[in-house]
Amino acid sequence: MNASPRKPAGDQAGCAILGHAFVESSLSGLAALRDAPAAPATLQLPPRFLRHSDEHTVAAVHAVLVALGSMPQAPSFDRCGVVAAPCQAGRMMTARSLAMLKTDGAVTVSPHIVPQCSLHSLAGAVSVALGMHGPHLGVGGGPDALAEGLFAAMSLFQPAAASGCEAAWLIVTEWASEPELDATGAAVGDPVCRALAMLLAPNGPTAQESLTLSLHTPAASLIDDDGSDLVAFAEAIEMCGSGSALASWTVTCPWGTQIRLTRRAAAVAVPRRRPASGSSPLREAA
Amino acid sequence: MSVYPRIDREPVVITGVGAVSPLGAAFEEIADNLLAGRSGVRSIDPGEYAREPVQFAAPVTAIPAPHPDACGLSPESFQELGRLEQLVLAPVAAALHDSGLSRVAGPRIGFVLGLGAEHLKTWELDFLDGGGRVFGDGRDRTLVHRLARRLGIGGPAVTVAAACASSGYAMSMGRTWIDAGWVDACLVGGCDILSPTAIAAFYNLRALSRRNDDPAKASRPFDGDRDGFVMAEGGAFFMLERQSAARSRGARIRGELAGVGMSSDGAHMVIPSTDPVQAARAISAALVDAGVDPAEVDYINAHAAGTPVGDVAEAGAIRMALGDATDGIPVSSTKSMSGHMISGAAAFEAVACLVAIERQAVPPTVNLERPDAQCRLDHVPHVFRPRRVRVAASNSFGFGGSNLCLVIRAAA
Repeated sequence: MNASPRKPAGDQAGCAILGHAFVESSLSGLAALRDAPAAPATLQLPPRFLRHSDEHTVAAVHAVLVALGSMPQAPSFDRCGVVAAPCQAGRMMTARSLAMLKTDGAVTVSPHIVPQCSLHSLAGAVSVALGMHGPHLGVGGGPDALAEGLFAAMSLFQPAAASGCEAAWLIVTEWASEPELDATGAAVGDPVCRALAMLLAPNGPTAQESLTLSLHTPAASLIDDDGSDLVAFAEAIEMCGSGSALASWTVTCPWGTQIRLTRRAAAVAVPRRRPASGSSPLREAA
Repeated sequence: MSVYPRIDREPVVITGVGAVSPLGAAFEEIADNLLAGRSGVRSIDPGEYAREPVQFAAPVTAIPAPHPDACGLSPESFQELGRLEQLVLAPVAAALHDSGLSRVAGPRIGFVLGLGAEHLKTWELDFLDGGGRVFGDGRDRTLVHRLARRLGIGGPAVTVAAACASSGYAMSMGRTWIDAGWVDACLVGGCDILSPTAIAAFYNLRALSRRNDDPAKASRPFDGDRDGFVMAEGGAFFMLERQSAARSRGARIRGELAGVGMSSDGAHMVIPSTDPVQAARAISAALVDAGVDPAEVDYINAHAAGTPVGDVAEAGAIRMALGDATDGIPVSSTKSMSGHMISGAAAFEAVACLVAIERQAVPPTVNLERPDAQCRLDHVPHVFRPRRVRVAASNSFGFGGSNLCLVIRAAA
């Protein structure tokens, strides 16, 4: 963990974190969230929306809803994208399906296993839950999910991405430790699933302090990695955001690129147009 | 409907192509088969666990071992890899070799793999082979990182998934990385593999055709008697780089990835929206991104998988996006011959667009005997149509309401 900001080597791109939430839930707790997601009063999810969802998706939707609930104003979702980076999502349902395939044949395979347990499923669920029209995609899928998710989300905001995204949710999920499953696919014990949801937007002039993510390609000798642990990264967001001594956190991608979380000072004398009453903090569709 | 304004950029071009598909692996072989209207759909062994009536698909019957220079593996060592790894590595290495960059792979080359269910398939294949990885508590590095290391690719390497649009999203992301200066060149594309669970799941979802009596006639996009899609495996990969870089090293430029448009329905996890606005938005955005008017589009490779709902929705989206120009643009679905390669479909259909550009001919939609009146388009039934093709658009739509359109333009 870094107590002081470092001079970036080769800033390449950046985006701001507009809101975030980190949640942890046991498997038994997820069952309750599946039946009754804690949506803010202003948001109505489709009925029984999560009944076929993978546990990672339940945790992810919960994290997004908590983040939304903590934001003073809900953003516009018309041009909002989703990048979701789960680590080994869908394993329990796959294990159950395979166990049943062996004993009872293909007729028992759930039609939901592909739409709900693939890499795209989590992003798709958030996109559908919030009625968003920006692109959504799953990224990573393995132990490098945090780095891959951060990198992919930042690429959505590059001018050439043609994504049209004015904001994007980045959600990273994992089991605290990968659960062991019995022969029927049921988890041994009550494992804990984690989800970090961040609403990102391209960096722009702001009169307020903000948390930012930036890409760097350091010389090999400058690499100073803080690690890709999801809990530590979520804590770093909290600490950087609260103005504590922690000023930055660096995640190093498997290929060496670094993604740095920093607290950006307020810009001085930034001209701002006063938003119309009731309008979204994000620009509405042109 | 609004789309994002166009950004001026240096063209990103395709300098390498690799494929593995039910219609062959070599570009010329695929081109010949597509234009001849040959089907890759055939009867398959349903396997020990399959107790369902669907007994056909479009399998890859031979995976050619890649040139050792491109992957550092002897043909014997290649045969020892798992089938999924073979299906991805063979076309990736072929694209790398075709580009002429295989000797200079390094930190400035990226890799974006469109693959939607790597873990599901890996666990399933292991399980069917007697293993128990799905029950264990291990975490394995993903295929994209293992292959990047094998190929000496030191730049960014990421797996992306957008269901049946996965490999198109991979192409989009690679182009972005090049344009942003994050890499000099990027391998992009996607692939998929047939598996009993996937076939059973799509069958139980009632998404698959059930024409066991005549498999080659089963995939019939836009036809009034269509009853679902046909599962396939395979896909394609491309080497992308800046046009100036390609020209300066004298590389063969096969085409330009000129435009990308993306959107989401935000409506349903499985069923495409009957409101065509968002799919049309992706098509329009791709055209704007490419800087072409609807009337300049010479060919549309439709997503059209042959599902009753999806084909109608796409026809509506095409007409909404292209307006009066629609009636003058030939549209075909090469899935009528290749089947649906799921994660690999968008990339394989980009190959079909390159075929149309190179051969100046539009591949047909085979089995289109009685066009659905709700899919009123300029179809190309049964046989190819000679046509000057400089700009081709390719649609891909997926679960979760993913919409993607790519515009591929002839090399300048």
